[in-house]
Amino acid sequence: MSNAASIRASKSNSILADLMSSKGQAVLLMLPPAFLLFTLFVALPLFDAAYYSLFKWNGYGTPTDFVGLDNFRQVLNHGIFWQSVRNTLIVLAVSLFIQLPLALGLALMVYEKTPANTLFRLVFFLPYILAEIASGLIWSFVFDGNAGVASALFKSLGMNPVFILADRHWAFLAITLVVLWKYFGFHMMIFVAALQSVPKELLEAARLEGAKRWEVVRFVQVPLIGAAIGVSAFFAVVGSLQLFDVVIPLTNGGPSNSTHTIVTYLYTFGLTRTRIGFGSAVGVLLFIAAVGVSIFYQRQTNRGSK
Amino acid sequence: MANVELSNINKTFGAIETIPDLTLSVPDGSFTVLVGPSGCGKSTLLRMVAGLEAPSRGKISIGGRDVTREEPSKRGISMVFQSYALFPHMTVEQNIDFGLRLSKTPTKERQKRVDAAAEILHLQPLLKRKPAALSGGQRQRVAIGRSIVRNPDVFLFDEPLSNLDAALRNQMRVELADLHERLKSTMIYVTHDQVEAMTLADQIVVMNAGRIEQVGAPMELYNRPQTLFVAGFIGSPRMNLITGEAAAKLGATTIGVRPEHIELGAHGLWKGRLRVAEHLGNETIAYIDSELGELIVRINGDQKMKTGEVLQFQFLQEHLHRFDESGRRIP
Repeated sequence: MSNAASIRASKSNSILADLMSSKGQAVLLMLPPAFLLFTLFVALPLFDAAYYSLFKWNGYGTPTDFVGLDNFRQVLNHGIFWQSVRNTLIVLAVSLFIQLPLALGLALMVYEKTPANTLFRLVFFLPYILAEIASGLIWSFVFDGNAGVASALFKSLGMNPVFILADRHWAFLAITLVVLWKYFGFHMMIFVAALQSVPKELLEAARLEGAKRWEVVRFVQVPLIGAAIGVSAFFAVVGSLQLFDVVIPLTNGGPSNSTHTIVTYLYTFGLTRTRIGFGSAVGVLLFIAAVGVSIFYQRQTNRGSK
Repeated sequence: MANVELSNINKTFGAIETIPDLTLSVPDGSFTVLVGPSGCGKSTLLRMVAGLEAPSRGKISIGGRDVTREEPSKRGISMVFQSYALFPHMTVEQNIDFGLRLSKTPTKERQKRVDAAAEILHLQPLLKRKPAALSGGQRQRVAIGRSIVRNPDVFLFDEPLSNLDAALRNQMRVELADLHERLKSTMIYVTHDQVEAMTLADQIVVMNAGRIEQVGAPMELYNRPQTLFVAGFIGSPRMNLITGEAAAKLGATTIGVRPEHIELGAHGLWKGRLRVAEHLGNETIAYIDSELGELIVRINGDQKMKTGEVLQFQFLQEHLHRFDESGRRIP
């Protein structure tokens, strides 16, 4: 036997030995179901979407009209797509720079275990429990120019009522406000859990060293809940990229397509108009963006843990 | 340096009165140890001195200054916690100079103080490490270093050696004694370990159920316990406490005799059967089931004994302690 052949034989023997070990047997037993589910429900739809994005296809029958990257060209040349990207980025920025600090501020006020704090935590968390569609409907009543709370407010100030959700200048701001209201409780709860896990002695030690309340937060609490802030930020970014079901009952993307997010854009211009190839192209672009965020997050997390 | 005066301190948590009414004087430069069983209020008392708990009533003075309502950082104290309370995201150096950075101490001065503390505590090679990369003893030294750099008037220690293994605890005990000798600062130290109390303190405060049982020098407490509680708490193995006829004959409700003050021999007045003997090399501890109840006897050196053997013994009369029905010492 030549040297190369003997090395190959010993390698295959060691792989076989690994598979026969108890760890190997566990892998053989546990991996196939997970692999099958992942393939069926994640990998295959992804590849399908990527495939369909290369066709002009209405969703019926087999896609035959191959158009190459033309769907992507159309998407990238569509002004409303860029408007939806801009809107998504606004939501993302508001989530990261207004919603998370707000959630952290409130978490710092209510994280200690007292009956009053428990009540406040419940109240702040309630919007998150409500279904998105229900939240959208509730706020559409609030913003209603005829009978809503906003209308009453304007009237009480002696102003003419404004139909906020029908106004190009105000509609997306209103959506952003609802997103802020709906999800800040979720982030607050993540921060509350993290803050409760910070040992009390560390806060006391900081106080003894002369740290004021703000300095305890800045130098002790925030660094120690860094991982939770990272997770929260990740959820905020992914949630912003996927924002859909609050927008539909509030504005359905209007007025004049000014309040679309990437997903409502996909839904409106891809699904409802039976342009599955076009919609798939938007989906692929959204997927690439989400993967980019995930890789960035993983890198940051790994860097932080080193 | 400063003395600490606690006057009529009361602490109540909801409906539970942890400390009813306590007055204590901690002399300037002393090493005072608060000792007592779990839940006796010693840590609560220390936290009140630190300013981490406010007394429900009473007054706390440090160096003649009323600090009862003063912020912890303004009291001139520093505290070492049982859990060390080191900031895990900071290096040893950043942990030590945290307070100095907050108080905006000039960099040169800060560096000087950190270097001095690191030298005293042998921390120089560890300054750039994070707490997770340190052993228990090293972490404890960093916590002490953080206290030292602030030049406090009073050092407070809350069971600082409890998380260390026996060997390291002995070593750190010696280091703490050295530190007190070197700094001559007032130190208040909480422990439930009476060996720490006996070896470190110049003044021991024995606490029970939020009250002070006795205050005194270690040997004073050992030789002249004023209450049954102190008699039973100070000393290891514990003092033998005997009630009944034998005590009544001596005009007491209870008599106490330390294990080393029982003499074995053929002329002994009392008899007992050896239940078990512990051979420690330098001494032997014998547990005897006697007609006076279970007794512990300490014998110098390694004494060969057989389980079940009948032994005769007597008490060294000059070392007997007598207590009345309320548990107070009869002079």
